[in-house]
Amino acid sequence: MAAVNFQDMIRTLEGFWAERGCVLMQPYHTEVGAGTFNPATFLRSLGPAPWRTGYVEPSIRPMDGRYAENPFRFQQFWQYQVLLKPAPDDVLDTYFESLAHLGIDLVRHDVRLVEDDWEAPTLGGWGLGWEVWIDGMEVTQWTYFQQMGGLELDLFPAEITYGLERLALFIQQKRTAFELEWAEGVTWGDVYRENERQWSIYNFEAAPVDVLTRRFGEHEAECKQLIERGIPLPAYDQVLKASHAFNLLDARGAISVTERAAYIGRVRNLARAVAKLYLEEADARAPV
Amino acid sequence: MPALLFEIGCEELPAGACREARGQLPALVQSKLGVDPSRVLISPRRIAFLVDELPDLSEPVWLKGPPTSAPPQAREGFARRHSVSPDDLVERDGFLGALVAPEALEERLASIVRGIAFGKTMVWRAGGIRFPRPIRWLLAKLDSETLRVEIPDVPSGAVTYGHRFTHGEFDVPDAGAYLGLLRNADVEPDADERERRIRGGLDAIGEWSDPLRKLDEVLYMVESVRVLPGEFDERFLALPRRVIDTAMQSHQRYFPLEGNRFAFVANGGEPETVTAGNRQVLENRLADAEFTFERDRRVGIEGLESRLSQITFFQGAGSFIDKTERVVDLVRKLGGGEASLEAARLAKADQAAELVREYPDLEGHIGAEYARLAGYPEAVSAAIDEQYLPDGQDAPLPGTEGGKVLSAADKIDTLHVSFGLGHKPTGSRDPYGLRRAAIGLCRLADEGGLTVPRDLLRDDVRDFVEERLESLLDVPVEFVRAARRSAMTELGGVAWLARQLAELPDDRLGPIHTVYTRAARLAGDAEGDVDPALLAEPAELALAQALQGTDLSVVAARSPQAFAAAADLAPVVERFFEDVLVMAEDSAIRANRLALLAQVRDEVGRLGDFSQIPR
Repeated sequence: MAAVNFQDMIRTLEGFWAERGCVLMQPYHTEVGAGTFNPATFLRSLGPAPWRTGYVEPSIRPMDGRYAENPFRFQQFWQYQVLLKPAPDDVLDTYFESLAHLGIDLVRHDVRLVEDDWEAPTLGGWGLGWEVWIDGMEVTQWTYFQQMGGLELDLFPAEITYGLERLALFIQQKRTAFELEWAEGVTWGDVYRENERQWSIYNFEAAPVDVLTRRFGEHEAECKQLIERGIPLPAYDQVLKASHAFNLLDARGAISVTERAAYIGRVRNLARAVAKLYLEEADARAPV
Repeated sequence: MPALLFEIGCEELPAGACREARGQLPALVQSKLGVDPSRVLISPRRIAFLVDELPDLSEPVWLKGPPTSAPPQAREGFARRHSVSPDDLVERDGFLGALVAPEALEERLASIVRGIAFGKTMVWRAGGIRFPRPIRWLLAKLDSETLRVEIPDVPSGAVTYGHRFTHGEFDVPDAGAYLGLLRNADVEPDADERERRIRGGLDAIGEWSDPLRKLDEVLYMVESVRVLPGEFDERFLALPRRVIDTAMQSHQRYFPLEGNRFAFVANGGEPETVTAGNRQVLENRLADAEFTFERDRRVGIEGLESRLSQITFFQGAGSFIDKTERVVDLVRKLGGGEASLEAARLAKADQAAELVREYPDLEGHIGAEYARLAGYPEAVSAAIDEQYLPDGQDAPLPGTEGGKVLSAADKIDTLHVSFGLGHKPTGSRDPYGLRRAAIGLCRLADEGGLTVPRDLLRDDVRDFVEERLESLLDVPVEFVRAARRSAMTELGGVAWLARQLAELPDDRLGPIHTVYTRAARLAGDAEGDVDPALLAEPAELALAQALQGTDLSVVAARSPQAFAAAADLAPVVERFFEDVLVMAEDSAIRANRLALLAQVRDEVGRLGDFSQIPR
């Protein structure tokens, strides 16, 4: 197997999915916990319009930071996200072909689909699918969406989320993410170790609880105003910002178990309202 | 008669869906085809069955209609509904019926696809059918004839698929060839056969274990069985064993062996490559656990305990520090010794441990490990370890006294807090596991012999807990209800008494029952003292005297003598009713006699409320 470095792995996936009709997008401009939150997935899953996309997304999860001391936990890691709407009948075969494209020999290795259903309580979304194992290593989350923003879907998309660090650990046969080759002569650690340390300090110690609490409310209020105004796309950014504020507050230990459910419910309500408006808007703009 | 094969080809099904299909197919096939399947073959990518000899299904089917005695309108209506002439109705066993063309085999097979009831299903095509995962092909063969089964968007043909990566699509020339061809294509579709091979493979590797019961799931995670041995770096053996085993089992579904060995089941690949990869994955998980363990250890159990003030136990019920104080107090009231009190103080410390956040199922156990590392006596660690037992109806009880006391105190506190905040379980909703806590408490008192004073529980909690005894004990509920209103002072005693009452022979229970119910009925809610000066009749004097010499409160000490003593009152009471007019004209005498009967009621009532027991 060719030890493809991190950036070549991304380029390979981009090339592979571009050839299969995906619109190559870029990471979104505000923090998201997963590529699913990117409007290119969340909003585009809704409605009757077919859509295919692929993009890299940094997954920002403040709770998971470990000050760069633990080589298996990070507050920021990378996903390659693919959404195929509607899911083609041969979508699994195509996915396996992408692994072969990365140089993975599907016969030498034990490649498995292991039941793993997906639910995003803040997005009001759920789907059924798998995690994909290669020799026991989970390298991809695979989901057939069933509902998003609390709404039934018109077309059922397949979401394929490659965990790039996990995949690279496997492809490069490295023991820790820090040792992964990002580009020739440059490791993942060179690029992100210090980032992990500083952001862990921010997430766990320095992020201002009172400011974030206030901001959560402000994002919520602004989101509602923008929904009133009938512009779901800017409103959705406020959902993302509120969601990130919540994640930071959670990392700061500022949210009790019972409060958690209430916060999640508030974000979900926003996401639902945005999804509903987005669909109405799309209907209104559609040529009769 | 021809052989039939039907295969529903799917994307990888969850183990639960495979089990559901396996459980339902035999009856479903019987009801749709009128014959038992010869084999049911279930694997992650296929739900299939074979019928070796399919009976002739082309005979018209007789559909039962109205009885022969029914009026003509009923006959005509029935005939019209089935598009036959009323004259063509055929009688069988006193009923008229219509002979109609049978459903085609293809349609019956399609209705089998639709007929399996799965708990969790999805849609993959707008307007398409629901199934646990997408169906990608159908294969139906009647001997060598290929049948087309109509399920929208799913191709139905003469082909199946072998192992996903080593064998592709191939033709199945006839039903009988299916199994052999699949096996040649590296698929074992028979779940029993896979299980046999997995067990055999594991046995060949060594003494394996399966504490979290993963084998039933692994069975449906492979189409081809490869059982492989693995090892991990010995340095990880420094981790608590349960952490190692859980890391292996909970996500990876490996089977732990002694020391640093494990076994796992793969679906393909080169053994060396696959083993090396799995070892790496496990070591990454263990390294992650090791990292977390070390961080916790540096903080130490005392340090973790001091962080509890920042962790909310329950909205409205303070932090885990508050919980700890309440539990310590309860342990004292339950008569816990030094070790139990120490354990209670440290019991919740691991709620602040990072390792518990990673492995929530190991709460208690991880705290116990940290207490051991800090040099606490074994009795303290053991009690911390056992504080959540029993965690199910058949789960084991704590083995140590400290564990029992701590577990009971923890459950009582959880119940008190939840009821205090109005979170009483309703219907099937019990988000805080209060029924389980109450059942656990009953078992600790009954099977565990722990003294749990009834007056330690607030009234609504006591009722809730004691109601659990009704289903927990193997005794008719009326005896439990009777015992709950006895003079028993502790929970275990209620259970003991309920059993005693249920086992009393009729000639013993009968007289006691009569004494109680007659006295209670007549006395009503009478109270007050008996004035000896007003006693005149010999029978009432005798009863007063007998009562003087009877103390049924010994029942609280679980003395079976109490039943004999109560039965001894029977003849005296009977004579009283025969000889004495309770409703005397003189109101003072009447009140005195009623007070005497109230005493009988109250004395015998120490053994329970016999009016609960129907006779």
